[in-house]
Amino acid sequence: MAHPSDRAPFKRRSLFKAAGLGAAGAAGLPALAACSDIESNTGSTQTSEGFDFLPTHEDWPLPVEPDLVGEPPHHPSAFTSYPEPVQAITDPPSGKGTYEITVPCWGAAPSQDDPYFAAVAAAWGGTMVKLRQGDGMTYGDTAVQWVKADEYGDGIQLFNYMTGSFSNFQETVVNSFYDLTEIVQGDIAERWPLLAALPSESWGQAVWSKDPDDPETAGIYAIPMTYSGGQGNGILARTDLLEAEGLAMPTTVEEFLEVARAWTDDAAGRWATVGLDWFIGQWFNLGGIDGWNWDPERKQMVNNIERPEFTELMEFRRTLWDEKLIHPDAPTGTLDAAAMQQAGQVMFTQDNLVRWNDYNLLVKKGEAEGAVAPLPPLAAKGRAPIVTVSAGIGGWTFLNKSLSKEQVEEILDVANWAAAPYGTKEHELLNYGVEGEHFDIGADGNPAYTAVGSEVVQNPVNYKAFAQVDTFLTGDPDMVAARFEYNASIQQYVVEPPFKGVRIEAPAAAKAAGTTLWDQQSDIAFGRAELSSIPEMVETYFKNGGEEARKHYTDAYLALYGDE
Amino acid sequence: MATLQSTTPTEADEAPRPPLVRRKRTVAQRLRHDWPLLVLALPVVAHLMVFHYWPSAWNIIAFMDYSPYRPFWENPFVGFAWFERLFNDPYFTPALLNTLKFAALNLLCMFPLSVVLALAMNSIISVKVRSTFQSIVYLPHFFSWVLVVTVFVQVLGADGLVSNWIMDGGGERLNFTSNPDSFLLLVWLQWAWKDAGWGMIIFLAALASINPSLYEAAASDGANRWRRMWHITLPGIRPVIILLLILQIGGILSVGFEQYQLQRQAVGYQATEVLDTYVYYQSIVGNQGESFGTAAGLFKGVIGLILILVANNIAHRLGEQGIYQKS
Repeated sequence: MAHPSDRAPFKRRSLFKAAGLGAAGAAGLPALAACSDIESNTGSTQTSEGFDFLPTHEDWPLPVEPDLVGEPPHHPSAFTSYPEPVQAITDPPSGKGTYEITVPCWGAAPSQDDPYFAAVAAAWGGTMVKLRQGDGMTYGDTAVQWVKADEYGDGIQLFNYMTGSFSNFQETVVNSFYDLTEIVQGDIAERWPLLAALPSESWGQAVWSKDPDDPETAGIYAIPMTYSGGQGNGILARTDLLEAEGLAMPTTVEEFLEVARAWTDDAAGRWATVGLDWFIGQWFNLGGIDGWNWDPERKQMVNNIERPEFTELMEFRRTLWDEKLIHPDAPTGTLDAAAMQQAGQVMFTQDNLVRWNDYNLLVKKGEAEGAVAPLPPLAAKGRAPIVTVSAGIGGWTFLNKSLSKEQVEEILDVANWAAAPYGTKEHELLNYGVEGEHFDIGADGNPAYTAVGSEVVQNPVNYKAFAQVDTFLTGDPDMVAARFEYNASIQQYVVEPPFKGVRIEAPAAAKAAGTTLWDQQSDIAFGRAELSSIPEMVETYFKNGGEEARKHYTDAYLALYGDE
Repeated sequence: MATLQSTTPTEADEAPRPPLVRRKRTVAQRLRHDWPLLVLALPVVAHLMVFHYWPSAWNIIAFMDYSPYRPFWENPFVGFAWFERLFNDPYFTPALLNTLKFAALNLLCMFPLSVVLALAMNSIISVKVRSTFQSIVYLPHFFSWVLVVTVFVQVLGADGLVSNWIMDGGGERLNFTSNPDSFLLLVWLQWAWKDAGWGMIIFLAALASINPSLYEAAASDGANRWRRMWHITLPGIRPVIILLLILQIGGILSVGFEQYQLQRQAVGYQATEVLDTYVYYQSIVGNQGESFGTAAGLFKGVIGLILILVANNIAHRLGEQGIYQKS
């Protein structure tokens, strides 16, 4: 019989004991723990104003005047006719480099052999910018890994909402991306006149500090995307189906419920919605930044979940479920609300208002029936409605810090070309493609995408996501007029967030608690928990990170505005 | 050719034999002798080093306030602070209990199901019927969880096939795929459909290794089908059952991810949260960071190791081989 060697470093039994000791250690953690405190991911606050190193702003005179003049950014001006485009950049710089930029893509990624890509590259001077397209549905989470592994090519485009996927975005930015300050500070109008014409607020929102407590360490770490404002999302209703049933567009939350009850027929397979959650907080006067608002009496930030209106919101959501006004499979979160609305199964959808325009264009092309339109701002219990808006950039194009200065400048040449506004030949090529190939001029005088144009140019995110100097409502004249009118009608209800000129990243503990809080709201909304559990839910949130967040947001507010 | 030999012992036979001394080979000799085996083992060793041992070494970040953006040695040690945060988190214990609940269900209801399926399959004599049965029970294993969950929603969902039949008959909508109270049953049905067939493969292989003459002998001694299974089949595959059971116990805290994550919205986090989804939602979605996730993963690993050693020890005490031969 063989005997275990005495020289074996771990006998089986001793290994077992070691494992047991480890478990015992884990069980007795409080006694051993807290060798030191965890200091990372405690949130950050970054101002975006008052810097002396931003590019000097220099207006770039628009070649054409809009037909309808609004009040940008929340009420953009509009073109009801297509102007004859002019050349913005007559002498584009010659570029020979080849770069790869990671961008999100929803749906099928177009082949980059399409003539569109060669045409834009030739127009901006020859620089090749290949697109590395990641699945838009998972882009935020995946981008975290790409950036950490430095596997995003020479640059990456990130939209605002994606930054929440990063445990510490400030730390990520200052450690991973190129500091553009030296290149773009001061007067850049000679080489990059269109980038110089971007609002200073845009560039300010591309600033991060290596040490958030030390303004001297601040720098410009990205090319900002387009600056815009106004209401981006809303509730779209099938107005033709409402009319057919003799129902009017609701103007209050109470009327909404009445219309929903009148329209819904569960047995016949038609419902008011497939879910209303992230948009309708404003129906109950719940606005703020990340749900936080300043309370002048308590002299601290107060979260929406602490307010009685939040209970009203949850009661409303629960009513939709209890009265079967919502699709029975809505809790799965897998239903295609837009398709169901188009099929006439669902009356209301929460959506980006771009779909208002898109749907009605489909109707004009004969590819859909009826009409959709956004609900006006609603409120409950006789309160005045609010429309929460926030002017700012949509995101950033970050460049890899391993690039050379010359390479960064070459990419900035491309970004400058892409910033040309509506009414320029650059804008036309970038946004509509090559005439005859990707678009034709329609009967109303506006460019109309061909099938290839929709697939290659219109739908995917590409160089269009670089900043544009100005934004307008454009396209189908009827829709432009309708959208302009809608924007004008909501201006009286517009409410801006409590913070301006500052970017706040919540502590990680608060983000984690917020994730669970959202799950708990769904539990109540879909009948898995009772409304009476709200106080306990709120208490749990504050105990597990909410109070930390309150202090973080309160400190930021006090630093900016004092306690008045 | 056989030769007759004397059975009388000779002097030479009686003389004590010198003990057989196997001269210890030097490392160089062993290398020269065994190099083909070593070369064959090299890729596996390399794979283990790169994808298992090297990543395991990074478990150390569970004890650090780790940031990937500073040099590794500049990350401060925080002792068990992340574990403390983990165990103090009110959502950790429910996730752990859910995990144990699903693991117990798997052990008690899925494992025997695979054995029973294997026995049933083994008893089918017709090759045609057997291959048809085999295809039907194997195929779902190759479906992704997305597809499995979708099929269940389409068939058993509130707006699914069965629900609409019931409604056509004047009944109420079926509330099965969104009901946290029946989620355990739903999970079991999904497992059974997807993986029970796949789980029987190893048992089938073990069954094939049983000497058929044992059955013939038992049958000629009058043993009926039940007694043959009880006295020949089950003892024949018992080492395999024990081996798989131990391995399964070792992975008891890894009950899967996609199945629960995909149904989280429908059923709610309280019914679906298991350790793997907890780590994802707290560490990645909730931004608690790498150290937190590693601490949770290490906890799982340690518990798994303890369980596998305990189960193996019990197996040895019961006279079974376990995951290795007891020397």
